[in-house]
Amino acid sequence: MMTSDIPNAPAPAIDIRCLRVDYGDFMAVDDLTLSVPQGVVYGLVGPNGAGKTSTFRVLTTLMEPTYGEVMLDGVDVLEDIEGVRRILGYMPDLAPVPSDLKVGEFLEFHAAAYGLASRSQRRERVAECLEEVSLTAQHDCWCKELSRGQTQRVVLAKTLLHRPRVLMLDEPASGLDPLARRDLRNALRKLAESGVTVFVSSHILSELAEMCSSLCVMNHGRLLASGTVEQVRTQLGRTERVLTATLLGRHEEASAWLASRPSVHDLRVTGQQVVFGFTGNDDAQADLLDGLVGLGIRMRAFEEKRSSFEDILVEVAENNRRP
Amino acid sequence: MNSDRSRARPVRHAAWNVWRNPIFRRYCQSRLRLRGVGVGLLITVLIAGFIVAMGSSIGVHSLMTPVDAARTGIIPLFFLQCVILFILGTAQVAGGMTAERDEGVIDYQRLIPMSPLSKVMGYLFGLPVREYVMFLGTLPFTAWALWRGQVAWTVWAPLYLIVMTSAALYHFTGLLTGTVARNRRWAFLASIGLVFCLYTIIPQMAKFGLVFFKYLTITPVLEESLPGILPVSAGAVVRAGQRLAPTVKFFNLDFSEAVFTLFSQGGLILTFIIMLCRKWRRAEAHLLGKVWAAGFFVWIQTLLLGNALPLIEPGNLFPSRGFYRMVRVLPDWAPKPGEAVLLSGIYGLVTLLLIFVLAGIITPSADHQLRGWRRARKQGVSSLPHLADASTGFWFVGVMALAGAAGWFLFTRALVESRWFPGHQVPLHVLGYFTLVMVTGAIGFQALLEAKGGRVVGLAAIFVGVVPIMAGAVFGPISDRLIPAAAWLIGISPMSMPFYAPGTLLSLSELPAAAARAVPRAFHFWLFVSVLVSMWLSVRLWVSRKRMAERVLATPPPVPVSVDP
Repeated sequence: MMTSDIPNAPAPAIDIRCLRVDYGDFMAVDDLTLSVPQGVVYGLVGPNGAGKTSTFRVLTTLMEPTYGEVMLDGVDVLEDIEGVRRILGYMPDLAPVPSDLKVGEFLEFHAAAYGLASRSQRRERVAECLEEVSLTAQHDCWCKELSRGQTQRVVLAKTLLHRPRVLMLDEPASGLDPLARRDLRNALRKLAESGVTVFVSSHILSELAEMCSSLCVMNHGRLLASGTVEQVRTQLGRTERVLTATLLGRHEEASAWLASRPSVHDLRVTGQQVVFGFTGNDDAQADLLDGLVGLGIRMRAFEEKRSSFEDILVEVAENNRRP
Repeated sequence: MNSDRSRARPVRHAAWNVWRNPIFRRYCQSRLRLRGVGVGLLITVLIAGFIVAMGSSIGVHSLMTPVDAARTGIIPLFFLQCVILFILGTAQVAGGMTAERDEGVIDYQRLIPMSPLSKVMGYLFGLPVREYVMFLGTLPFTAWALWRGQVAWTVWAPLYLIVMTSAALYHFTGLLTGTVARNRRWAFLASIGLVFCLYTIIPQMAKFGLVFFKYLTITPVLEESLPGILPVSAGAVVRAGQRLAPTVKFFNLDFSEAVFTLFSQGGLILTFIIMLCRKWRRAEAHLLGKVWAAGFFVWIQTLLLGNALPLIEPGNLFPSRGFYRMVRVLPDWAPKPGEAVLLSGIYGLVTLLLIFVLAGIITPSADHQLRGWRRARKQGVSSLPHLADASTGFWFVGVMALAGAAGWFLFTRALVESRWFPGHQVPLHVLGYFTLVMVTGAIGFQALLEAKGGRVVGLAAIFVGVVPIMAGAVFGPISDRLIPAAAWLIGISPMSMPFYAPGTLLSLSELPAAAARAVPRAFHFWLFVSVLVSMWLSVRLWVSRKRMAERVLATPPPVPVSVDP
């Protein structure tokens, strides 16, 4: 059930129902239904071509979908374009900046366009936003002379100028160094705490896992999973881990016993080590260890390696390849 | 961070208040930096100063009066100003607009909560702001020349008014090209090419009855103003020459060139504004709505007719009149019947091409139609609003074709039944034929475009529209015996129909003997085929639209399935 269907529940910040985007015969987004609550940092992850940017362009009124319903903070994106644009902040992929303006001029232009009438108000707000992204010193620099990371931050500052209620950031951390990424993460969390909903897309899952409270996974236009990182892991059916037991003898006996366990697969013996895939949960893993010790097999070490989220995504993407 | 202290209430940016327009001010900042504008201004001032100084120098050398010496520089200065505003300004507008899209910053501008009209005005005056400053740089020299040359304000004021409206018109063209074109270089070339065509090719159309097009340039007003701005003796010669030239007439009304140019350009400027606002509001929107497109077509038809009809009786519409005037043998002149047939054909062809262009604008693509039907399903209705972009353009193209046929008939009848061709009449059944030619051509084009898309229409245009004419043009001259075959081949093209119709139906038509039998037969045969083909295409269109509607409406709307745990 969607949040908006619950009586008296606050309207979701982003409510997408059955969104479809076609480019001629190519279907970029296929019946996407998604609800993002207010005041969270929500991630949209997927490999290139997953439909993230198309979804973003519809949400930001830059593209008309083939069909679907999209509400942003209770405003219908397809019916009230001007209304949506007032509450929306959008930072596109690659975060372009004009080559003929200085940072301060670029931001002041947008501040004026968003209705900050007096020059002092604009300057004050520009200074606040530049401070927010730690670029105060770059106020008089040419936009074209900034590094990739600085450009990203300038565009983020531009996006924050009019205090949007919903922020859409398409690949915001690409090109940022670890320090800048940490700053961005902190800035986004602060924004979410102040009630702003932040919708972030990325094809780098680790990046999103760090900054988002919830996320969803898209591939080839379809929504594959959504929720917290662990929930997504569960929905994708990938709780797999690789276990390695280093034994001091009786390898064949141990292998035979392990092979008879239903959650064990791909077992192989290399030297002193028995390596196998395990699909059970933590309790089942503890039982397995107990069983080995109960057989009287002496174990020098027992190592667990979980599949990274990145690996899972790659596998999901591979399994969901378009025909 | 979201302190209320600095939170401002959003303000609306009035479209007319260009000076406070953020987009205009943004370009003032970037394009009026001292380094950039300084060089341009320096060069402009140097050239303008050189022109005025040379004028004075020549005046002194030729023992001219001070008035004539000052006037010598006015036309070259005027030419420099036109280059700055029309060529550099238009190129800057088109190139600047596509640069915005190339850099990707246009999406920011799309999202800023300004009205589309404010955005259009911001770009229109902002992008060429450096060129406006360069133009301002020439004004002191012009003012000096006008003052010293004792040019009356009634002469220079209308001229410069039209320069400004023409600049706005060309800049709008550049803005539209920049908005629609995908490539910066193409936008630049297309806009410059358009201005070039306006001053070279389009005026030639005026010689073939399409007088309206010359009012998109400054030429008529400049010609009217010439006696007042040239040196006194040269001005007198021009004034004497102008007595022979017609004044601008619109049906029975007499206008000054400036007023009529303003009237003509104003309509186009308004249409361009509508187009740009629609594109800014929604990037996927058609350039024009259906009603506006039909209204625009009727307006152009009215202007074409209004300009052309009053020129028939004095004979100024006929191309040979211009030639005879040049060689000064006017008393012996009379138009040939073939000229009337040719003029009628050109009028019909231009009308048909204009319908094609407008049909291309208002015809929805398959994607548009699908979106429309899905939207209808969402709203629980079973039909599309008649004026929506997704709705068929069929009926509106039909209306345009009927209006075009009526205009074409009126033009042809006025030509044939004029004093130049006594005894000739255009019977009413010709209107029926003209209507068939227009309707089959326009409806066939529209139905094919809507049902099959632009690529198929492009191929059809090449293989049905152009190749038969080229083939006929190649075969025909080889031998007289091949002329009938060539006439049949050329008749395949819908473009030939506007020429074949008057050639066949008008009593004054004097076809060459070799083509006299073939052309009427080819015309009737291919017209019959055109009727069948356009009917078949129309039926196909309706079937495909009905199928699409049924398919979409019959499918229940997708039920949202959440994957939230």
